[in-house]
Amino acid sequence: MNKSIYIVLVAIAATFSGCKKWEGEHTDIYSYTPPAANPVSDKAPLTCSGGSTVVPVKGTMLSGKTYSVADGCDLVINANDTLLMQPGVTLNMGAGSSLIALGTLVSNGSKDQPNFITVAGVIENDMPGGVAPATDPAFAGKWKGIIGGPTCNLMVLRWTHVAYAGLTEGKATSTIAGSGIGNQYSILFANYKGNFVMEDSWLYGGVDDPIRISAGKIAIFRNTFEKNGVSGGDCINVKGGTVGTMAYNFFIGTATNGQKASNKGQATGAPQTNIVMYNNTFVSGGYRQVQSGRGGCINYEEGAAGMYYNNVAVNCKYGFRVVGSPVADVAHLSYGNNFQYADSLSVANQFYPTGYITQPQVTDIPSIKTSAKYLPANYTLGAIYDGSDVVQKNNPMFLNFPLPTSGHPLAQYSAVGTYNFRLQASSPLIGKGKTNIQPLIVVPLDKIYGLSEATAAGSDLGCYQLNGTGNQH
Amino acid sequence: MKLHLLIPGKICLTFIFLITLLKTTNAQTIKGKVYDSTSGEPLTGASVQAEQGSFKQYTSVNLDGSYTFRNLKPGKYELKARFIGYKTTEGQEVELKENATLVVNLKMQNASTSLNEVKIKGQTSKESDGSARGIEKNASSIENVLSANTIQLLPDVTVANALQRVSGVTVQRSSSGEGRYAIIRGMDQRYNSTLVNGIKIPSPDPAFRFVPMDVFPSEMLERLEVIKALTPSMEGDAIGGVMNLVMKSAPDRFILSANVSGGFSSLFSSSRPFSAFSASPNKNSPAAMNGNSYAATYSDFNNKALTSDRNLSNPFSSTAGLTIGDRFFKNKLGVIVSASYQNIYRGSNSKELTPNAQPSAIPLPNSPQFSDAYDRTYSTQTERLGIHNKIDYVINDKNRLSLYNLYINQNEFESRLTSDTLGLGLNSTGLSKQITIFNRSTLTKQTIYNSTLHGEHVLSNNLRFNWNSVYSNATRHMPDRTEFSYDANKALNSSGVVTTEIDNNTNLTHHWENNKDQDFAGYGNFVYTPKIANRDVEFSLGGLYRHKNRDADYITYSLTGGKSTLFNGNFSNLPFGFNSTADGIGANNPDLQNNYTVKENDNSEYLQLKFDVVPKLQVIGGVRVENTYMTYATESPLTVTQRSGTISYTDVLPSIHLKYMLTDNQNLRASYFASISRPGFGEIVPYKVSGEYYDQEGNPLLKHITADNYDVRYELFPGGADQILLGSFFKKIHNPIEYFVVRDGGPSSQVIKPQNDEGDATNYGLEALVTKFFGVVGFSVNYTYTHSRITTNKLLYYNDPTLGLQQSFVNETRPLQGQANNVGNASVLFKSAKIGLDMQVAFVFTGERLAQVSPYYNLDFYQHAFNQLDFSFEKTLAKRVSFYGKINNLTNTANKIYLKFPHGSLDAKQQEFLGKQDIAAQTLVQSDYYKTLFLGGFRYKF
Repeated sequence: MNKSIYIVLVAIAATFSGCKKWEGEHTDIYSYTPPAANPVSDKAPLTCSGGSTVVPVKGTMLSGKTYSVADGCDLVINANDTLLMQPGVTLNMGAGSSLIALGTLVSNGSKDQPNFITVAGVIENDMPGGVAPATDPAFAGKWKGIIGGPTCNLMVLRWTHVAYAGLTEGKATSTIAGSGIGNQYSILFANYKGNFVMEDSWLYGGVDDPIRISAGKIAIFRNTFEKNGVSGGDCINVKGGTVGTMAYNFFIGTATNGQKASNKGQATGAPQTNIVMYNNTFVSGGYRQVQSGRGGCINYEEGAAGMYYNNVAVNCKYGFRVVGSPVADVAHLSYGNNFQYADSLSVANQFYPTGYITQPQVTDIPSIKTSAKYLPANYTLGAIYDGSDVVQKNNPMFLNFPLPTSGHPLAQYSAVGTYNFRLQASSPLIGKGKTNIQPLIVVPLDKIYGLSEATAAGSDLGCYQLNGTGNQH
Repeated sequence: MKLHLLIPGKICLTFIFLITLLKTTNAQTIKGKVYDSTSGEPLTGASVQAEQGSFKQYTSVNLDGSYTFRNLKPGKYELKARFIGYKTTEGQEVELKENATLVVNLKMQNASTSLNEVKIKGQTSKESDGSARGIEKNASSIENVLSANTIQLLPDVTVANALQRVSGVTVQRSSSGEGRYAIIRGMDQRYNSTLVNGIKIPSPDPAFRFVPMDVFPSEMLERLEVIKALTPSMEGDAIGGVMNLVMKSAPDRFILSANVSGGFSSLFSSSRPFSAFSASPNKNSPAAMNGNSYAATYSDFNNKALTSDRNLSNPFSSTAGLTIGDRFFKNKLGVIVSASYQNIYRGSNSKELTPNAQPSAIPLPNSPQFSDAYDRTYSTQTERLGIHNKIDYVINDKNRLSLYNLYINQNEFESRLTSDTLGLGLNSTGLSKQITIFNRSTLTKQTIYNSTLHGEHVLSNNLRFNWNSVYSNATRHMPDRTEFSYDANKALNSSGVVTTEIDNNTNLTHHWENNKDQDFAGYGNFVYTPKIANRDVEFSLGGLYRHKNRDADYITYSLTGGKSTLFNGNFSNLPFGFNSTADGIGANNPDLQNNYTVKENDNSEYLQLKFDVVPKLQVIGGVRVENTYMTYATESPLTVTQRSGTISYTDVLPSIHLKYMLTDNQNLRASYFASISRPGFGEIVPYKVSGEYYDQEGNPLLKHITADNYDVRYELFPGGADQILLGSFFKKIHNPIEYFVVRDGGPSSQVIKPQNDEGDATNYGLEALVTKFFGVVGFSVNYTYTHSRITTNKLLYYNDPTLGLQQSFVNETRPLQGQANNVGNASVLFKSAKIGLDMQVAFVFTGERLAQVSPYYNLDFYQHAFNQLDFSFEKTLAKRVSFYGKINNLTNTANKIYLKFPHGSLDAKQQEFLGKQDIAAQTLVQSDYYKTLFLGGFRYKF
C-alpha cells in the first residue's frame, strides 16, 4: 500500500516535471560580442630594436594565449593607454625585460583561469632546504618586474601569478618608468593619485622589496607571498602617501617584514600613510635579512598611521613591531587580537621586539598575563623579558604544517609547497577575531577595473577562515 | 750678577756714543725707498748700491721699503737697486752736498709682464715720484695682492691657505683641514675663477669649473692677485672675484735659491697613528682594460690598497724647492726654472651625524632625524710637485716672445676609517648595537699643465699688439678607490658590556674615476694710444677663442662577501663575488650614466677705453661680449631624455671703472660691471653623484648665472707698505643656482638637483684693510662684512590636527652657501734685517657661515665661527742661508657644524647618539679636529 502510493507520487512528479520541460520556453537571441579592438599579437615575441629597449603595447591580450617579451626589452603601456589581460593569459618575460605601466594595466585572471606574468622554463624547488638561496632561481631576478610609473592611474592584478622578478632596473628602464636606477622590486607603484589593486594573486621570489608602494591608494586582498627578498627587503613596503587596506594575505619566508608601513618621503600634496591590516598570516618571516633588527611580520614606522588586528605570526624572527624612532604616528595607530607562536625561546623573546615600542594588548595571544616572567609587572616598552613560558604554546593547528617544526631551521620554511595552512576545527585561532574592523577602501569597487571584493574582517584569526571565506588559495 | 749687567751696558753706551760721534762728523746721507714699479709694493730685502768711482757701498731695504746710506762723503754717486725677479735699475746719478740728506726713491721693474690687463707701461717708470703706490692703487680695478715676499713669510705652503690672508677671502677646507677653495666676499667657489699669469686654466674637478687651490705650492708665485672688479679686457665669468697666480719670471742675472724643510703633525702618535697604504696596481678598471662587455669576476680585482695598510706613528713631512734663473745673449734671453716638492702628512678626527632623508614631524615640525653617526679618522698624505719654466726672448726693442710652461702634479693618498652606528635609532637598541665599519683607501691624482706662448709687438708709435697661444690640460684620476665594510652586530648585557659580536654583511667596492679637461685657446689684443685733446687715451680691442674638451668616466664594482659567510677578521677568507654575474659587466654598470663628454667653444670680444676725463679722474669702460657654445653627450641609452644636448648663450657685459685721485696718495674708486658664472659641467649633464648628505643630479635646463656688481672704495697710501682701504660692494645675482630636493623614483632616494631660483640673490658688504708699520714691527688687519640673501622654497613636514602628517612648501630666506657675515685677518710682523730675523703671527677669523643647504626648512647646516692662529719665522744663519719655520693651527681649532635646532627637543632615542653638546639652541652634528702642523727648514739664496 505504502509502496504503491509512493510509486504513484513519483509517477505524478515525473509527469509534472516532464510537462514543465515540455512547456518550457526556448530563446536563441543573437548576441554580438565585439572582438578585442586591439588584440596584442602573440605570433612572435614582442621585440625592441634599433638601440631602443622600448616595446609599446596597448589593447587586449586574449584568453588562453601566451605572449612573450624579448630579452632586455621594456614592454611599455604609455600614459593614457590600457593593457587588459583577459583571464588565462600567460606573459613570458624575457631575461632582463620589464613591464612598465605609465597608463592602465589590468590583469584580469580568474580562479579557473589565472594569469601568469613570469619567465618560461624555470622549475620551482619548494622543499624546505631543497636549494640554497644563493642558487634558488626564486631570488635570481630573472626580469625586472612590473613598474608603475608616476602617471599609472590604475594597476590591477587579479588571480595573477607574478614570479622571478627583481632584477636591477638600470638607467634605461628607470628613466622610462620614472623610477629608480637601483630599484630591485618585483612590483612598484608610485602615484599617490592612482589605484593599486592586488587580489587573489601570487607573488613568488624577488630580490629587494617584492612590492614597493612609493605612494598610492591600495587594496591588497587574499594573496599569497612566497620566497620574497633574497637578503633584505620588506615584502609589501609602503612609503609616504599610501592609503588603503591589506587583508587576508599569506606570507611565508619573507626576507624581512611581510607588511610594512612608513610615511617616509610623503610628497607635498600626498596624504599621510594610513594602512589598515587585518587577518594576515605570516610564517617564518625575517630570516634572510642580513642586517639585524629589521622585523619579520608587521611593522609601522616613521609617521605611519593605521591599525592592525586579527593577524597571525608563526615563528617569525621578530614580532609585530611599532618603531619609536623615527616614530610611527602612535596617536593614530591601534592594534589588538594578534596571535603569535614560537618554536624557540629566541622567537618568543622577540614577540614584543626589544628596543621598540609595541604596546602589549590584553587581546593578544598568548595572553600578556601568561606568567610572572612573561611581560612582568614592571615591563617597559621595548625591554627584555623572558619568553620561556610561551614557547610552543597555542599551537595554531594548521591543516598540514606540523608544529613545532622539525628537521629544518626556521629560515628554510620559505614556500607553501605541499603544506596547508588552513585551520583545523580545533585551532585556537577560531573565533578570536575582532569583526568590527572597517577596511579602509579608497580604490574603486569594480569587478574588472577595481577591487572586486573587499572581504570584511573575519572571526577567525589569520587569512583562512573556517567557513571558507578569506584567502582562497 | 751685577757685573754681567754692567758690561753689556758699557758696550751699549760706547756704541751709542760712537754712532752719535759718527753722525756728527759725517752727516751726509742718502735715503729713500725702493718699490715695485707696477705694484708700488716696497721691495724689502732688495739691495741698493751707492757707487763713487771705485768706492762701492751696499745696503739692504727695510720692511717699510726704506734704505739709508749714512756717513757718505759728499760728491756724485750712482745708485742701483737689485732684487731677485726684478730688473736691476739703471744707474741713477745724484749729487750729495755737504751735510745734506738726499731722498732718492727707486722703482724696480718686475721682470714678468702681467697679461690679464693690457698695460702700456712703456719705459717711463724710472721716474721716482717718491710716493709709494700699492698695486691696489695703480691697478685699473679693485684688487688685493700678496707679493712673493709676503707669501714666503706666511705660515702657508699652498696657494689655498695663502688666500685666506687676503681681505674678503675665506677658504673651504678638505676633510684633512687643508684649505681647498676660496670664497671671495661670501661668494662660493662657483662664482670665482682662477688664472695663471692671466690665462684661465681648466679644472681637474670632475663636475665643476673651479680649480682646487691647494694643488699650487705657494712658493712658485711671484704674486697672488685677487681681482674683485672686472674690466672689459678680462674674462667675464667671475662674480665673486678672480684669483690670478702670477708665477716667477726670468731674472736679469743669475739667481739660485733652494729650500728644504721637514715637519710633522701633532695629530699622529702611536695611539692615533697615520694609516698609510700603497696604491692599487690596477690603474684602470676591468671594463677599461677589456671592454664594456667583459664580465669581471673577483679575480680581476686587487685589494692592495687595503691589504697594504700600515700604521706610521709619526710620519715626517718634507718640502723642497729650487729656483734657477739667468739671462743670456746680452740679456736677450731669460730663463727661469722653478720646482717645488711637498710631501705633507695631515689628517683629522671627525664625528658626524648624517640626517635622514626626511626629518620627523614629531615632536616639532621638521625635527632633525639622524640615520647615521659616523666616527672617522682621516690620514692624508699629499705629494705635490710643481715645475714651471719661463723663457723670454727680446727679439728687438719692438718685439718680444715668451714661452711659459707650468706642470702641477698632486697625489693624495687618503685613508679613511669609519665606524657608523647604522640605522640610528631604527636598528640599534640599548642591548644590541649595530655598527658598520668602513675602511676606504683613496688615491687621487691631479695634474694641471699649461703652456703659453706669448708675444708682444710694437706696431707703431701708438699701436701695440700682444697675443697668447695656449694649451692647457687638467686631469684627475682616482684609480681603484677600494672600500671594505661590514656590520658588527654586538649584543650587550644590561651593564653595557659586549657579550657577543657577529660580523656579517661584508661588502667590497672598487671604484675608478677619470676626468680630463683640455683647452686650446688664443688671445689677441690691440692697444691704440693716441693723444686726443692733449690727453692720453687708450683703446683696447681684443678677444679670445677657447676650445674645450672634457671627458669624465666612472665605474663602480660592488662585491659582497657571501651573504651567509661571517667575517672573522680575516679579509682574505671572504668569498667575494658579484650578486649576479651580470653585475660584473661594464655595460651594466649603473655609473655608466655619469660618463660624459663636453665640448665647449667660447669666444669673446671686447672694446675698452681708458682715459682721464679730468686730470685726476681716470675712466676705464667698455663692453665685452661672451659667447658660449657647449655640447654634451652621455653614455645613457637612446631612450633616456636629455642624454645629449647643446646649449649656447651670448652675454653682453658692460663695465665702467672710475678712479678719482683725491691727492697723490689717496684714491676714490667706483665701478660697475656685469659678469656671469657658467654652471659646472656636472650640474648640466644629467649626472648623478653621491654628495655629502644627499645624492646630487644634474639639470640640463639650468641657465647660467648673471650678475650686476657695484663697488666703491677709498684708498690711502701714507707711504711704505702702509695702507688703508675702505670699500663697499653690492651684487645683484640673477638666476642663482641653488639646490632643491627632488624625488628620484622612491622615497628613500630623494636627491638634490641644481635649479635656477626664480628670485634674485643679493649680496652686499663692507671691506676694511689697515696696514701700518712701526720700524721693525708691522700690523695688518682686514675685516669684511658680508650680507647676502636668497629666498627659496623649502619643505616643511608637520603634524596637522585634522589632516595628520603633511608636507608643504614654505619660503625661507637665508644667506648664500659659504657666506660668513664677518671675516677678518690680523697679523703682527716683526722684520729686522739687523738681527736677520723675520717673524709673523697670523690670525684668521671666519664667522658663522652656511655650510650646507638642506631641502628642509630651518635645517641648514651652519659652520661655527672659526679662528685659526698660525706662526712663522725666518732667521738668517749665514750670508745666504736662513732657517725658517711654519706652525699651523696653534690652538687646534675644530671645524664644527651645527643645526639651528635645540638639541634638547630631539626625541629621546636620538639623544643617545648626540655626543657632547655645547650650545643649547643648536645641535652639534659634526666636529673635525686637525691638531697642529709644524714645518722647519733651511733656505739658500744666491
